[in-house]
Amino acid sequence: MRPENEAAMAEMVKTAAGPLRVIGGGTRDIGAPVEGETLSTAKMSGVSLYEPGALTIVAGAGTPLAEIEAVLAAEEQRLAFEPMDHRPLLGTSGEPTIGGVVAANVSGPRRIQVGSCRDSLLGVRFVDGAGRVLKNGGRVMKNVTGYDLVKLMAGSWGTLGVLSEVSLKVQAIPEASACVLLNGLDDVAAVNAMSMALGSPYDITGAAHAPVGVDGHPVTMIRIEGLEASVAYRAEKLKALFAKTGAEVLVERTPEKLTAGWKWVRDAELMQGGAGDVWRYSLKPSDAPQVVADIQEQHPEIKVLYDWGGGLVWVEAPAGTDLRRSEFAGHATLVRASNATRRAVPAFQPEPAPLVTISKGLRAKFDPRGILNPGLMG
Amino acid sequence: MFKLVIFPYQYWKGNRDMEMPAPDQSIIARKARIVDRLRSVLPADAVIEDEVETRAYECDALTAYRCPPLAAVLPASTKEVSEVLKVCHAEGVPVVPRGAGTSLAGGALPTADSVILGVARMTEVLETDYDNRFIRVQSGRTNLSVSGAVEEEDFFYAPDPSSQLACAIAGNIAMNSGGAHCLKYGVTTNNLLGVTMVMMDGEIVEIGGAHLDAAGLDLLGLICGSEGQLGVVTEATLRILRKPEGARPVLMGFDSNEVAGQCVSDIIKAGILPVAIEFMDRPCIRATEAFAGAGYPDCEALLIVEVEGSDEEIEAQLSRINAIARTHNPVELRESGSAEESAKIWLGRKSAFGAMGQINDYMCLDGTIPVSQLPYVLRRIGEMSKEYGLDVGNVFHAGDGNMHPLILFDANKPGDLELCEAFGADILKLCVEVGGCLTGEHGVGIEKRDLMVDQYDPEDLEIQMAVKDVFDPDWLLNPAKVFPLASSQERRIAAE
Amino acid sequence: MQTHFTDEQMQDPGIQRANEILRSCVHCGFCTATCPTYQVLGDELDSPRGRIYQIKDMLENERVPDPKTVLHIDRCLSCLACMTTCPSGVHYMHLVDHAREYIEGKYKRPLTDRLLRWTLARILPYPTRFRLALLGAKIGRPFALLMPDARLKAMLEMAPKHIPPVSRNDDPQSFAPEVPRKKRVALMTGCAQKALNTDINDATIRLLTRLGCEVVVAEGAGCCGALTHHMGKTQESHGTAAKNIRAWCAEMDGDGLDAIVINTSGCGTTVKDYGFMFRNEALAEDAKRVSDIAMDVSEVLMTLDLPEGESKETVVAYHAACSLQHGQQIKTYPKDLLKRAGYSVVEPADSHLCCGSAGTYNLMQPEISKKLKDRKVRTLEAKNPDIIAAGNIGCMMQIGGATEVPIVHTVELLDWATGGPQPPALTAEGKRAPEIPILR
Repeated sequence: MRPENEAAMAEMVKTAAGPLRVIGGGTRDIGAPVEGETLSTAKMSGVSLYEPGALTIVAGAGTPLAEIEAVLAAEEQRLAFEPMDHRPLLGTSGEPTIGGVVAANVSGPRRIQVGSCRDSLLGVRFVDGAGRVLKNGGRVMKNVTGYDLVKLMAGSWGTLGVLSEVSLKVQAIPEASACVLLNGLDDVAAVNAMSMALGSPYDITGAAHAPVGVDGHPVTMIRIEGLEASVAYRAEKLKALFAKTGAEVLVERTPEKLTAGWKWVRDAELMQGGAGDVWRYSLKPSDAPQVVADIQEQHPEIKVLYDWGGGLVWVEAPAGTDLRRSEFAGHATLVRASNATRRAVPAFQPEPAPLVTISKGLRAKFDPRGILNPGLMG
Repeated sequence: MFKLVIFPYQYWKGNRDMEMPAPDQSIIARKARIVDRLRSVLPADAVIEDEVETRAYECDALTAYRCPPLAAVLPASTKEVSEVLKVCHAEGVPVVPRGAGTSLAGGALPTADSVILGVARMTEVLETDYDNRFIRVQSGRTNLSVSGAVEEEDFFYAPDPSSQLACAIAGNIAMNSGGAHCLKYGVTTNNLLGVTMVMMDGEIVEIGGAHLDAAGLDLLGLICGSEGQLGVVTEATLRILRKPEGARPVLMGFDSNEVAGQCVSDIIKAGILPVAIEFMDRPCIRATEAFAGAGYPDCEALLIVEVEGSDEEIEAQLSRINAIARTHNPVELRESGSAEESAKIWLGRKSAFGAMGQINDYMCLDGTIPVSQLPYVLRRIGEMSKEYGLDVGNVFHAGDGNMHPLILFDANKPGDLELCEAFGADILKLCVEVGGCLTGEHGVGIEKRDLMVDQYDPEDLEIQMAVKDVFDPDWLLNPAKVFPLASSQERRIAAE
Repeated sequence: MQTHFTDEQMQDPGIQRANEILRSCVHCGFCTATCPTYQVLGDELDSPRGRIYQIKDMLENERVPDPKTVLHIDRCLSCLACMTTCPSGVHYMHLVDHAREYIEGKYKRPLTDRLLRWTLARILPYPTRFRLALLGAKIGRPFALLMPDARLKAMLEMAPKHIPPVSRNDDPQSFAPEVPRKKRVALMTGCAQKALNTDINDATIRLLTRLGCEVVVAEGAGCCGALTHHMGKTQESHGTAAKNIRAWCAEMDGDGLDAIVINTSGCGTTVKDYGFMFRNEALAEDAKRVSDIAMDVSEVLMTLDLPEGESKETVVAYHAACSLQHGQQIKTYPKDLLKRAGYSVVEPADSHLCCGSAGTYNLMQPEISKKLKDRKVRTLEAKNPDIIAAGNIGCMMQIGGATEVPIVHTVELLDWATGGPQPPALTAEGKRAPEIPILR
């Protein structure tokens, strides 16, 4: 089913006889596999309002992400949260949509500075499981009118409603960018260095560490963006700050290399095409090296990538292993695995009982028949 | 279970009759028992029930509406909050959570059958972690003292509501408070990492923590801004940031609101992100000058634009901002040259509310509009001001379109408050009409409750009320707020 | 804020003023953030906003004050931090003074309370009686543990171990300037201060005469009246204040006065308010004349070209007395002067918070007072100062009793830096633990 407008979408949901597999472009095949008729928002497409002077854009949920990005780029603007493209990692095809980005609350390296998709999301329109057309939020930057269902919808993976329209805050593309590279740091030193940078006044917009970088050696990447004079100034300050780490410190300024380098981090390119399962850990940065070491002890062959200053850790581990056995504060999502594993191991970290009760209660209100992506989030 | 009835009950002491649910007389009749049970779980001085004392809790910073509660309690820990809620849950007593009582929307207005649960004694810092850039505090701690706790290491907590000196983190979370600098740093929800919350039945839940993003549904995002109706937040993990190397404001005066509005839009469009863009119109400029003598130019509209960074970075940003401003023929363009001058530029803005308060009583609105609509909306407000015969001053966060029209009225003059409310409602409806919303950072509370129907369709409100059902099935937490009384009670009656 | 006074009530000038103040309050709650008792107790009722609300209710309804309202008003330190914080310019001081007077007139306190307050009002403002009482307390101190009332116990425990002999400098007389005369000023020698610490007035006279002032101690001047004023005992306070007004006006009308110099900031706040206190009385005009030229010693010194001193190693922690920083809004002068004299000046965290001395507060509300004292001493000591300086005897006694760091009056340090003797409190034998915080 590919509704072309909200009314049609509402009718389809209302009259659905069984479970619906709700998708945008279908490029983010994550979570427990859903059996059901496919409901795609792909045809709810198009930018309906864009005010560069107010930094806001409103678009149909099915609008291709590429289209949004092109429209914004024409005014030298962008989505601040740098959404990841899951296709190479998951081996999916199709056209990522803005609705999919919202439903999965996708973000990228800039999340540490500007937040994730939900932090840029100003408003949503959606059809709930009963077929009601609902809205929440709007298109202004500050809005506390009623409960914030906007945040709730972001990252709800279509389990609470089918998005029809979203409005987002956008950001001007800064004129300059630089990446300070530290070579040869071990994981603990790298997380410390990233903490130092993030605890500095130099407005870091990316902090990642690859124990095994593209050239086979550890590399830590610190990104700064802004006015040219400011970027140059901060790059120098950071170099000075990192002198005590003992690592070789370089500053990369070539735009192509910067784009490619951060895309490599954003899309977890290190793990593309691999045979293992891919896990995504969200945790306290200083805990990250130990959590990784614990996994490594069991599975020495894992691939690891740190982003968000250590707050996000990508791990590619042998297929079919449940890495959640060791205790840690935070959560891990199984992003890539076979359907069989995704049925056996919950893709989303199981939550404490009181939160499960609340989430269940919410789903029962939004989707009383339990037909929207049932079971996807566990 | 207590029963709500739609009934305009006149128990307000003032000259204002606000439609509120009739207090449950059976609760009032059980006061002694309820107080005894509360005393059994709290220290003696933490339960306030004498009528001469509960009166001080009859309103927050919105004094137009007031009603003394059955009792007020001042727990000092999550455990005590849990005990209090267990008692109230068992007795079916509504609970009104209260931070510092600085709400301008009546967010902490009690009902006669409710217990005020104040968190003012919960002010401890529980954990400070500079490596991971967060602080965990009890929710009664004031916004500014969170920054104060990390100041020595040059860190700060970014959201800065105008009342940051006094307002509590609990209230900030309840209202998802913003502030002048949210253009760059976001509002509370963007800086909140986790909470410890006590459910109405006393169960203690942990949501979020030192990590980012939710494992499942974003309950943290839902709780932030829920006006104390889903649970009582007792502890919060907040993101802290390193202070910028410096900050400098520039003051610009313009001949008209339109030109100033256009200048705001041009600055934003140019890709420069100041940390704050504040706007004041002529009535506000004049009142402020008379009160604080900040040396503002006598002009139609004034902008304060602040940028941050090292001196070089500030220069670079300001030179561009000034170039843009010059294309709009400013009557004044004053860049601060020192800390004293910066303070002076901000002085007027920060005294604006006080200055308006010297002229008369005021009602402070909080609608947000798309920035592009600023000139139109300001013009309409001016016209309506004449129609209503009430003066209004505008001082607000222009960068994000969050307006704060201050309508002046005389609370001691019969009928003036009602006139002011009608005017306010018209302004808020205008905000919605042009694509904005009723409230940008103060919350709905009691004040804008009945205007919700102007922004939301019945089903949009229904799903929000359904959310409340999940967290607080008996609707005991912060009653009669947020949702139009008619809507919330119709469905309750239907449910029973 | 809306008020509900009847036309009849509004005939009363006191109510008129109260109404004016209440109407200017918008109930925003900013004042709660800097109120010491709210910091300690966390109860709206013990915040300025809550007190304003209780006062409003009591006055509007002409209620006979109830013990609970009285308790919350009594707990107010009158530190006036709320007035510094208030964005709307609410004159809390006049409102709470009015409420105290109202309570004093309509509320019958328990016997022990009345006795205690009566005793304090009969002793503290009178240096000779106070000196005798201090001697008595010294004898009584060993029996402190046996005292049933916490407040009486506090009084005994706070009495200083050292009671200085009477200083003849405090007698009525005139001190000639050491250099050609720039100003003729009257020094208010105070009441309790004279009994507790004679060094301050001695230093003030040396410093002022050194800098070109003729310093007069006016015949007939005495206690400023603050103590009884804050108890709501208007008759007593106006009585002593009237004596001062007459004494200083006589000087003004005689050889003339450029200023009335006050080195106890608690008194300064009150003297500067004489104009308001007497606004409806025969002495109105004279009272205003006095208020107009009343100055804290730091204000006078700012006009006297204090010589710049060599930079010293000595770290001075400046404790801002509430009556100075909030009551008189004098925040930078003492620090500026100390720096000018060459001292290295530091300030404690939360310098806006009261030390808990607040006149007789430490005697009447020992528990809250102690919490504030401990907090203040902790924040001061965190700065590792060599000396603590303050501009108010009450604070000096309160803080001095709880720290090993010597505490002196700002003028003693300025006197020392400009050629005067080392302050006795800094000499080895002079480190006498001053312990009683009495008057602001």
